[in-house]
Amino acid sequence: MLNPLRSEPEAFRFLIYVALGIVAIVAIVVLARAL
Amino acid sequence: MESGSVALPGASAGHEHGDHHGPPAANQSSRIDATTLGIYLFIISEVMLFGAFFTAYFFIRVVAAGDWPATGTELPVLIAGVNTLILVSSSVTMHWALEGAKRENRAALRAGLLTTLLLGTTFLAIQINEYVHIGFAPGDHAQGSIFYGLTGLHGAHVFIGLLLLLSATVRAFRGHFSAAAHRGVEIPGIYWHFVDLMWIVVYSTIYVL
Repeated sequence: MLNPLRSEPEAFRFLIYVALGIVAIVAIVVLARAL
Repeated sequence: MESGSVALPGASAGHEHGDHHGPPAANQSSRIDATTLGIYLFIISEVMLFGAFFTAYFFIRVVAAGDWPATGTELPVLIAGVNTLILVSSSVTMHWALEGAKRENRAALRAGLLTTLLLGTTFLAIQINEYVHIGFAPGDHAQGSIFYGLTGLHGAHVFIGLLLLLSATVRAFRGHFSAAAHRGVEIPGIYWHFVDLMWIVVYSTIYVL
């Protein structure tokens, strides 16, 4: 299991995953508002 | 982890931590080392602190209802977006620096840390410039208060991160780190990624949504 506090590589991967997740959420919200 | 071995007659009485004789050391956990526990508690408390500020933001936004953003509180989304890319890039260079440390590539370690430091400083400078030109003050209204509060809290964390990075950079240029011993780079690296992650959430919430 990914533990972002255990090591820097895990923290970096966690950052990338969360960033992609946030981009997806923002895209969905922006699209929903446009419709 | 193996359990401790039995002490042999005539063995030195000086062996301590690795042998697990008797109860663990007082005031310390036997399951997690103090450094790791300290980092866990620190980061978790910081997450709670940001959570409190985000709670205030959403409360103010809900109370404001349709008047959001109020006239005069328009935010420079594009500039902040570029600033976000700068901070994300700094996490990439931080990761590069640490990979360099693990591979005994001192040039990569030093270049990565220095670049991360410069990118982080640039981010802070742009943020301060934004404060100067944004057109409203923290005391003008609730929206202003929470904007400065949330971004200012994050900026303070960036500043602390820059101090940690500066320390790591100076040590890297003095040759302190190696593949076997680079905790002094890893801990600031974890902290820096946390700061970057919080900015992505702040930017998405305040500027975009």
